[in-house]
Amino acid sequence: MRMFATIAKLLVKRVLTAIPILLVVSALLFCILRILPVDPAAMSLPPNATLEEIETMRSEMGLDRPLYEQYGIWLNQLLHGNIGRSIHFRQDVTSLIGNTLPATIELAVIAMMVATVFGLAGGLFLFYVRGTRLEAVTDFFSILLLSLPEFLWSLFLLLIFGVFFEVLPFTGRLSPGFERPVVTGFLLLDSLITGNIATFFNALQHMILPCLALGIALSPSLMRVLRSSLLDAYQDDYIHQARLRGLSEKRILVRHGLKNAILPTLSLMGVQFGFLFGGTLLVEIIYSYPGMGNLMVDAIRNADLPIIQGAGLTYCIAVLVISIIVDSLYLILNPKLRVR
Amino acid sequence: MANRHLSGPILSARNLSVESLGGKERFPVLTDLNFSLEPGKILGLVGESGAGKSMIGRTISQFLPHGFAVTKGTLEFGGEDLVGMAAERRRNLLGREIAFIPQEPLSGLNPVLSVGQQMKEHLLRIGLAPGENWKQRALKEFEAVHLPHGAALLDRYPHQLSGGMCQRILIAMAFASRPRLLIADEPTTALDVTIQARIVKLIAEMQKRDGTAVIFITHDLRLASQISDEIMVLYAGRPAERGPAKQLFSAPAHPYTRCLQLANPTITGPRRGLYILPERMPGLRVLKDLKGCRFASRCPNAVEACTLTEPPLVDIGPNHIAACIRTEKTPEIVPPPLAPGREVTTGTTQLRGEKLTKAYTTAWSPFASRTSFKAVNSVDFTLGEGEFVGIVGESGSGKSSLARLVVGLDTPTDGKLTLAGRDVTANGNADRAYRRDYIQMVFQDPQSALNPRRRIGSIVTQANEATGAYNSQQERMNRASELLKEIGLPPDAAMRFPSQLSGGQKQRVNIARALCTLPKILVADEIVSGLDVSVQAQLLDLLLKLRDEHGFSMLFISHDLSVVRYLCDRVMVMYRGEVVESGRTEAVFSEPQHPYTRSLLAAVPPDDVEKEWSPVLAEAGYQVE
Repeated sequence: MRMFATIAKLLVKRVLTAIPILLVVSALLFCILRILPVDPAAMSLPPNATLEEIETMRSEMGLDRPLYEQYGIWLNQLLHGNIGRSIHFRQDVTSLIGNTLPATIELAVIAMMVATVFGLAGGLFLFYVRGTRLEAVTDFFSILLLSLPEFLWSLFLLLIFGVFFEVLPFTGRLSPGFERPVVTGFLLLDSLITGNIATFFNALQHMILPCLALGIALSPSLMRVLRSSLLDAYQDDYIHQARLRGLSEKRILVRHGLKNAILPTLSLMGVQFGFLFGGTLLVEIIYSYPGMGNLMVDAIRNADLPIIQGAGLTYCIAVLVISIIVDSLYLILNPKLRVR
Repeated sequence: MANRHLSGPILSARNLSVESLGGKERFPVLTDLNFSLEPGKILGLVGESGAGKSMIGRTISQFLPHGFAVTKGTLEFGGEDLVGMAAERRRNLLGREIAFIPQEPLSGLNPVLSVGQQMKEHLLRIGLAPGENWKQRALKEFEAVHLPHGAALLDRYPHQLSGGMCQRILIAMAFASRPRLLIADEPTTALDVTIQARIVKLIAEMQKRDGTAVIFITHDLRLASQISDEIMVLYAGRPAERGPAKQLFSAPAHPYTRCLQLANPTITGPRRGLYILPERMPGLRVLKDLKGCRFASRCPNAVEACTLTEPPLVDIGPNHIAACIRTEKTPEIVPPPLAPGREVTTGTTQLRGEKLTKAYTTAWSPFASRTSFKAVNSVDFTLGEGEFVGIVGESGSGKSSLARLVVGLDTPTDGKLTLAGRDVTANGNADRAYRRDYIQMVFQDPQSALNPRRRIGSIVTQANEATGAYNSQQERMNRASELLKEIGLPPDAAMRFPSQLSGGQKQRVNIARALCTLPKILVADEIVSGLDVSVQAQLLDLLLKLRDEHGFSMLFISHDLSVVRYLCDRVMVMYRGEVVESGRTEAVFSEPQHPYTRSLLAAVPPDDVEKEWSPVLAEAGYQVE
């Protein structure tokens, strides 16, 4: 089919263009962090090490060679899947990221689902009350929601459901005493695969508050974009023409209005999803959630260069992957892009 | 379908009035409409924009703009009250018994659904015969509207099709339910002449097949007289005249009908002057304060009595009525004589194109080989001093591409372009500076050609920013008021913004801007299309007057052959990037040599209603869609 051919073409193109982007990002990460006034050699030794010991360590770590050579070595290691060892945790960066990335992905994906549900429902509601007296009220609330950041939501929800009503857990991914199966690293998935229902529900309970906080914070902009795209679509002739063919308002909305209005909403969701990878940071800290955000904070506090580099690269790859997914979805939903 | 053979009119309106009730003030939109439409008949609705033509369609569907409502009279469909009927019952009629064909075929279809998906949705709603599947039915309906390759069409999306094809699909949808009433709102305005002819013929063919009654809304009186049985001319929301189409066209009783007819240039017979309707139609908001005839302020026959009371409808002949107290004076309205000195002798050649070619090549891509397409193919032409040369052809024929080469927006890929003795083919910086003093362009759509955040005075003198001719603000403002005076706008218009002007006024400003530095050549791309005939006549005469004063020459691109015939000394006919015929306008139009020119001319509705309109529907080797 033509559509799949076009999508395959897009994938090839995007993967090819992703390579130079990753090279540039890796070079930037490497250079900037090498310029920082921290000495990795000194940091990896006990505080009472002598200057000579530090010098030996420096040449052992290759820090006395020219910068481009260092980058070459680092890149070569990188291609072999070796980002280096964390100075602070004394552990491979790959395994540190491997432990925390699935947690963050799980958080981001569920938060995005929450945002989508709230965003679509809210957008439809805002569109539904257009031109009525309710509009002033809904306008007020949608702006109010728009101005509340995710960490405030985190605190509200934590205080209400965690501290006051004590109905939901608010620290970590799992309560103590629950068995933690490891297959893919995604806790919800793994507990389902291994049939560990108790763990699944406990993990799900832990996710509710952080995901709600993130999802609610992201949804107002989705609502507003959906509402204005629907308003735009309803100005178009094909909506009027559908009415003149006697189609019901419900059908016009779902099949003709939403199908067109979803396109701008989708591209906003792509952007938001990219931001979520960096944006879970505050929420992870508030809920002591063991994801990439917490790892990054520890790394920055300890000037743990290998982790910062690894996390930076991971972020870049995540954004590239998301944009490829969004673009493919766009191709499926918008036939105008499928020309030729 | 059971009550199809009931006698009596399909649609009848009695004293139907629509008013705007919302907002600060109440004003009439439609006033005292009376008509009845028998099965199988076509009613033409004619008038300038803002006359309320489209409002009738919206009243029938009851999708009126916010705050508008029927305040008086009745509107019945097959004996049922359309206005008072339950919304659900009316929705049931829409798309089944009452069908609509829109003005813009490309936007009338949903861009993200395939033709098949939209066809299926409609066919399933109106119901299929037992044992029939929607695909077979869709193909049958496509065949009826002469759409070839129906099966392949089902997988296509609207943006992959031409306007004519989209309109055929919409017609197929409209007639699929064998409706009793069809409302076609300017269904051909957005299409080329040859396609217009086909679409109009198709609507007539389908209407005969099903015995459908049709309301055909158009601003073109000549087209309406060809297709309709009866015509109603609307003016400011009130019927000015209603009568049998042929009779109304050959002997209009209302001065407005007569003026409209004379404002439109002819396509055959001797050239005549255009009747210039002054000013424009009163806006709806002032109507309620207007005591007399709504047309009185523009009527050449108006006397004091006309301004005192609204004129009653008087009988002119069988089924022919007009709202005028002096109908006997109407035939006395005659077009002005052609301005003297119209036939200019061609002076020295200003612009010459030799084998001018513009080829476009697709962008490099690793997935497809590059293909080349010649938008302008080896075109030879000259433009003499003070000469108006028309370029005609359908969309995609290369008219606009040629214009872009002439003004320097594009660089030719081959051939030679000489401007006043200098070779400007290369289109370098020096060429551009040189060209700027000689050539200016007037763009098609004044709405988007005028910067909405600039005042008119600054827009018309915009060219000075490049040449620095009038440096001080005072000098510039003086020049602006000179220009505005020339194009017939009051001097205080200089301080206004484009949004405060009417469409016709904006197009005048558009022309004035091009004239600011007194160029020797104007290039005008479809500058009168989309305007009312009255405004069109004003602009055409303005161009002729300005030529007399300044002696510029012009390349005039248009798809309207009668306008070109009125305005231009010579004409070039373009087809697929090539000039297939050129010569003096009179000669080319009276004795066309090339089959393509003949098919273009045949597509124009004739001036004489008795003459049969026989557009060439398909010419060997010259397929249009």
